Order: sequence, then structure tokens, then C-alpha cells
Amino acid sequence: MKIVKAAIAGTLESSDLVVKVSPGEEGLDITISSEVFKQFGEQIAAVVKETLAALNVTQGEIIIEDKGALDCVIRARLQAAILRGAERTDIVWEKL
Amino acid sequence: MCCGGQRLRGTSLGLKVIHEAEVQAIQNGEHQLFLLTSPDNVKAFQGGGFYPLVTLDNRATLMENTPVGIQRYCRKLRTHRQDQAANVGAIVMNANPFTSGHRYLIEQAAKACDWLHIFVVEEDLSAFSFQERFAMVQAGSCHLPTVTVHPGSRYIISRGTFPGYFLKEKQIINEVYSAIDLIMFRRYIAPALNIRQRFVGTEPFCKVTAQYNCAMHYWLEDKMILPDAMIKVNEITRVTDENNLPISASAVRTALKRKDIDAVKRMVPATTLPFLARWLSHHTSTEPEYDLANV
Repeated sequence: MKIVKAAIAGTLESSDLVVKVSPGEEGLDITISSEVFKQFGEQIAAVVKETLAALNVTQGEIIIEDKGALDCVIRARLQAAILRGAERTDIVWEKL
Repeated sequence: MCCGGQRLRGTSLGLKVIHEAEVQAIQNGEHQLFLLTSPDNVKAFQGGGFYPLVTLDNRATLMENTPVGIQRYCRKLRTHRQDQAANVGAIVMNANPFTSGHRYLIEQAAKACDWLHIFVVEEDLSAFSFQERFAMVQAGSCHLPTVTVHPGSRYIISRGTFPGYFLKEKQIINEVYSAIDLIMFRRYIAPALNIRQRFVGTEPFCKVTAQYNCAMHYWLEDKMILPDAMIKVNEITRVTDENNLPISASAVRTALKRKDIDAVKRMVPATTLPFLARWLSHHTSTEPEYDLANV
């Protein structure tokens, strides 16, 4: 899936996160800021990468502002942002 | 007295407002945002996903809504770095339109350094579009082998870093803005390209630009105020036409409006003329300007 425009998903509430995506030419550029980065930074990065791989996203700029969200929330917000940024409606639900 | 304040405390209303503003901006197609605030508020906005770029002590902090925006731009710039050149210079210009004065400034600057980077102001708020201005600068400088022309990005004299430049008609001039713009240049842009000198034409007409030139000496050259390497500022005396009047882009625009083609031709290089011809044919109602188009 290709990100063709800037999109945002999520909120800045505690236990949520904001995902911002925008088009990029050279591969994936992922930046994660988290209030619990010291404790869970690696786990967040793993979930993000896994979700991007499942959606077959290989290019784009991804910015995560995490407020201590659970993995399932991270996944859902990232999926929402990507689908908005890719302007896709033909969602393959089983892939998500 | 204000019970609302008590009731809403602890509900992170501030974050909601910041986030809502960002969502609205994205819906309007603006996903890169700047935020100018008092240094006391930086912490609060950091919680909302804004990151500080530069701070002017006790006065203002410029922030942006990405942790990596300026780094990304500088990374792109570094691919144009000329490592064999020891003495690298830079010019920032709007070129609205590109005049013989700009050409003279570029030639003088290129002579004075090993490599010259020209940044064309990217903000599209001038008579000529960014695309036109960029192409005019490229056409007017391609005879010089040691020059690179860059889009100015939103980090050099944009509405974000220097709104005063575009508000000058209303005479809203703010030295805070020019300081922020210049600190941005000294801290981020110049090191990416190893820029040691900045060149500028003397400014006899425009108050905002004259004040900016003056601020340039202070914010780029002073060794005490900033830890970043200093940049030498060279003011080059403006070139004049046959009647001893300084050439300026605004004079060219005035002549264009009067359709005084002879005056225009005296002030711009041949490389600019095709752009002006196109501009005239778009901006005057019916008959195209054959006089210029045939040059």
C-alpha cells in the first residue's frame, strides 16, 4: 500500500497515541516519541514494523506520538492512518 | 470566580485543542505546522507533539509538529554539500522577478567563494510563483559552474519563520521573527552545507529587508550570543542602471504594471525576459506582449 497524502489518526489522550503519516521517496522513515519509551520503546517499534509489513507499506514517513497505548491500540491507529493516507477503501480485513 | 477553570482542570483540554487544530489543518491540506509561543509554554506544547526549533531567550520559541522535520531537510541539503570547497557562501533571494541586480550579486558572491548556494524563497505569496522565480534564478545563474540553486523550504523566510516579510504592507515588523529566521539559518542550514559566508545586496528601499540585513550582522556574525559557528555577512552595493537608480525587483514590477518595456529591459537580464513575457500575457487581459515575447 502506498501513502499518497498526509493523514492523521488517534488522539493525545492518555493510553492512546497519534499517528501521522506522509508520503516519502526513500523507504520507511519511522520516528517514535513515547512517554514510556524507556520501558516499551522496542516493543512499540516492533508492533509498528509488523503492522506496516502486514499492510505492505514500504515507503513513507511515519511519526508516532505515544501516550502509553496498548499494542492493539497502536495497531488500530496505525492502520487507520495508513488507510487514510493511502486513500484506499478496498480493505482486506483478514490482513488486518 | 471562574468555575469552568476548576471543572475542566485535569481533563487535558489543552491537548484536545492542539490536536483538534492539527486535525483541521490536515483536512485543509496543511500537515506541516509551525507554532510560535513563549518559552514558558514549550513543555505544554511538547506534550501535544510539537518540538522546539529555536528559542530567543525570554521572548519566543519556534516549534514544529514533527520531531524530524528540520533534520530531514538538512539531510537532503547535505547531499549537495561540496566538501572540496573550503569557502562556501550562500544567498537567500525572493527574485520577484530576477533582475540584473540579482545576477550581479550572484556573480560577485560566486567570485568571492569556492561554492555558492542560492536559496529561493519558497513561500508563494509574491507576484511571481515559486516555480517561475526558481526557474528564473536557475536560468540567470547557469553560466556559473560553482553555484547550486535550492528551494528555500519552509525553514528560510517562510510564513513560519519570518511572517513579517510578507506582512510589510501593513508595516507589521517584528525583530523577533528576523532573529528566529536567522538563528534557524545559523544553527541548521549553514552547518548542513558548511556555509561560512552570506551575501546580501544593500537595501535602499524596503524597510523590512533593510532591518533584516541589519539583524543579519547581529545574529549571524556575533560570537557571543550563539554557540553555533559564525557566518560572515557581506553586503554588496546594489548595481544601478544608466540613470544611476538602484535596480530592484519592485522597480521592475512597477515598470511592468506601467507596461514600460524599455525600462524593464534595462533592469533584467535576457534570461528573465521570457518569464516576464509569459507573466504579462497572463496578467494583461487580451493582447499578448509581442515586444517582449520576441526577444
